[in-house]
Amino acid sequence: MGAVHAKEMSHKSSHHDPMEDEEADIDLKRVPAFVEKIHVDGLGRTKDDIVSQQLKPILLATNFQQVVAKSQRAKVQMQRLGLFNDIDIHIDISRGEKARSDGYEVTFRVKERRRVTGEVGTQVGTNEGSIRFGVRLPNILGRGESLDAQYTYGTKSSMGSSALFSKPLKGNPDLRVLASVYQNNGEYPWSGYKELNRGTIAEIQFPTSIGHHSLLWEGVWRVLECMSNTSAFAVREQSGHSLKSALRHTFSRDSRNDSVLPSNGNLFKASQELAGLGGDTNFIKHEMEVQLNQSLPLDTVFQVCLAGGLMRPLLPGSSVKINDRFMLGGPLTLRGFNIKGVGLQEDGCAMGGDMYLCGGLHLYTPLPFRPGKGGFGDFFRTHLFVNGGNLSNLNNGAPLNDNLKNLVQTLRWSYGAGIVMKIGGFARMELNYCWPMGVQKGDSVNPGLQFGIGVSFL
Amino acid sequence: MSNILSDAMMVEMMAKIQWPTEVKLFQPYEVGQITLADYASCLAVKTFLHMAQVKFSLQLRTNAEHMSPTQSVPFIQVGPLTLSDFGPIVSFVASKGSGLSEHLEEQERADMKAYVAMVTSTLHNAELYVSWLDKETAETVTKERYGSPFPWPLNRVLPWIKQRAVRKSLSSIGWADKTTDQVCEEIRTCCQALSEKLGDQAYFMGDLPTELDALVYGHLFTLITTHLPSLPLSQIVQSFPNLNEYCRRIDEDYFHEMLPDS
Repeated sequence: MGAVHAKEMSHKSSHHDPMEDEEADIDLKRVPAFVEKIHVDGLGRTKDDIVSQQLKPILLATNFQQVVAKSQRAKVQMQRLGLFNDIDIHIDISRGEKARSDGYEVTFRVKERRRVTGEVGTQVGTNEGSIRFGVRLPNILGRGESLDAQYTYGTKSSMGSSALFSKPLKGNPDLRVLASVYQNNGEYPWSGYKELNRGTIAEIQFPTSIGHHSLLWEGVWRVLECMSNTSAFAVREQSGHSLKSALRHTFSRDSRNDSVLPSNGNLFKASQELAGLGGDTNFIKHEMEVQLNQSLPLDTVFQVCLAGGLMRPLLPGSSVKINDRFMLGGPLTLRGFNIKGVGLQEDGCAMGGDMYLCGGLHLYTPLPFRPGKGGFGDFFRTHLFVNGGNLSNLNNGAPLNDNLKNLVQTLRWSYGAGIVMKIGGFARMELNYCWPMGVQKGDSVNPGLQFGIGVSFL
Repeated sequence: MSNILSDAMMVEMMAKIQWPTEVKLFQPYEVGQITLADYASCLAVKTFLHMAQVKFSLQLRTNAEHMSPTQSVPFIQVGPLTLSDFGPIVSFVASKGSGLSEHLEEQERADMKAYVAMVTSTLHNAELYVSWLDKETAETVTKERYGSPFPWPLNRVLPWIKQRAVRKSLSSIGWADKTTDQVCEEIRTCCQALSEKLGDQAYFMGDLPTELDALVYGHLFTLITTHLPSLPLSQIVQSFPNLNEYCRRIDEDYFHEMLPDS
């Protein structure tokens, strides 16, 4: 990767003593600087306008420290835009007859990304792993646009392929438009059905001062089919084709220092989905997630997680299909319960609910005696946890208070301890010993040892 | 789950079901949705259940085809079991001792099965051909009805997919290349054979109805009452007076008086 090289000015380097290194920071800010020229070496398909847009702020630098900082910032932005693989920055004094005494020239040596890159990787979903084959065309149009095509094949006979086009706007890597088409095949054994989805998504992502927003439209054609003759008839009744056309807004604000094993920072996420702009699926769905982390002495971290959701059909008399409903339970959410094992079950098939709440309190500590400290051991934590949650159907006739009361009265909860492992920087693996409590009739529980792997957790 | 295991479970489930019990028959809506071939198949099963005096309740669902374990209508729900298509439903009812062909001799039963096979392979395929491959009927009637429960653009896509599937299955048995006239001729030949078999008996196998009667009635009554823009289907059947009279009589015996039940 690139590094910043700054040549010391020749007339100042005559008396070099050990003290000067300590004063260098102060000196750099005081050293007046005027950037006269910026060179960029190695441009091929990347358009000039997007590069010069990123580099312009450097010209406004008034001291040497600013030159370095602004150059570094331009480098980071250009890398985030996906323009270049490698960027080296060289800062030199201006030469030539008209050069000012405080004039500098900045040279960016860039190496563009290859036109086509391929990858084979693995990814982790809710208790499922899959292998992914991808082809990526980075920076295809020269302004940071990329096209990704992927094919995934999962361990539980799920299969999918997708193509995603992404384009940053105004040279801002956080402001993007995205368009994608996808097809995936998934099995949902806890509910006894499998589903084939074909869809298209148009999305705009934009930052604001309070957090990150995503606004998207999704049109998806779903074909739901029973997995076997023994699937519940209530699931069979919902099989067939449906078309969902939905608008979804997601707001997130994430100040955590790590998404899997954070030691401080908070996450707030809220989303609203409105389905029913065409198609035959209609509902409005709200979901929220909060996570707070507080580091305590002895590398211990206290974590509070809370998530909840609520949905209702837009048209009176209609109901939300099983594939849109909330499900609850599993080794990373409501531990001690089987995957989607909470709530109404018909013949062993989870039917889901239209309201849920789930929370967790964790106390994370490093492994006892801290084996592998500073290395491999940092991927592990032990934790004590208490989880609580519930899933139910809204009784529209009853007031909200009664609905909430019902939610509290039949609260499922669990406690236990276990080991958490961070994998790949984005997923976690847990092995816990759990005691499920408040089990209601029909719940599918897993007391004792429970193993789980996934991205989202509570 | 492996097929052998699920088949074994099915047999066990079948054996456990108390009889008589509540039977639900699922089919698409008759007004505006059901297609010609499906209508005939549903009518055949309903007639069979009436003849076997199995009480059932009729459940109309727009997604009946996709609910069915074999993706074909009609299907019945008996306790935890779902069974689709004429053959399996007939054997299930027979296994519970309510079948219609117990009184037949071995030879007669083989004879009847041959006719059942002929009717299915000729009339069912002819109905599929007429509704999906006859261009005018497919475009003006079938596709519109088939797509009617779905929102745009599925109301275009799904009939097109179905049409391709029907064409593929018909071409595997050599029917896709036939002309409409040839198909009408097939129907006429089949009716000729049936007319000769029926003669002046009350039912095909004598004085008592069998599943063959249910099947033949289902298909012929459908053809008689279907008036398509370009095809003389009803005239073909009506040119056989004994078949025409037979359909009218079964309609009166099993549907007019039993209608309130269904």
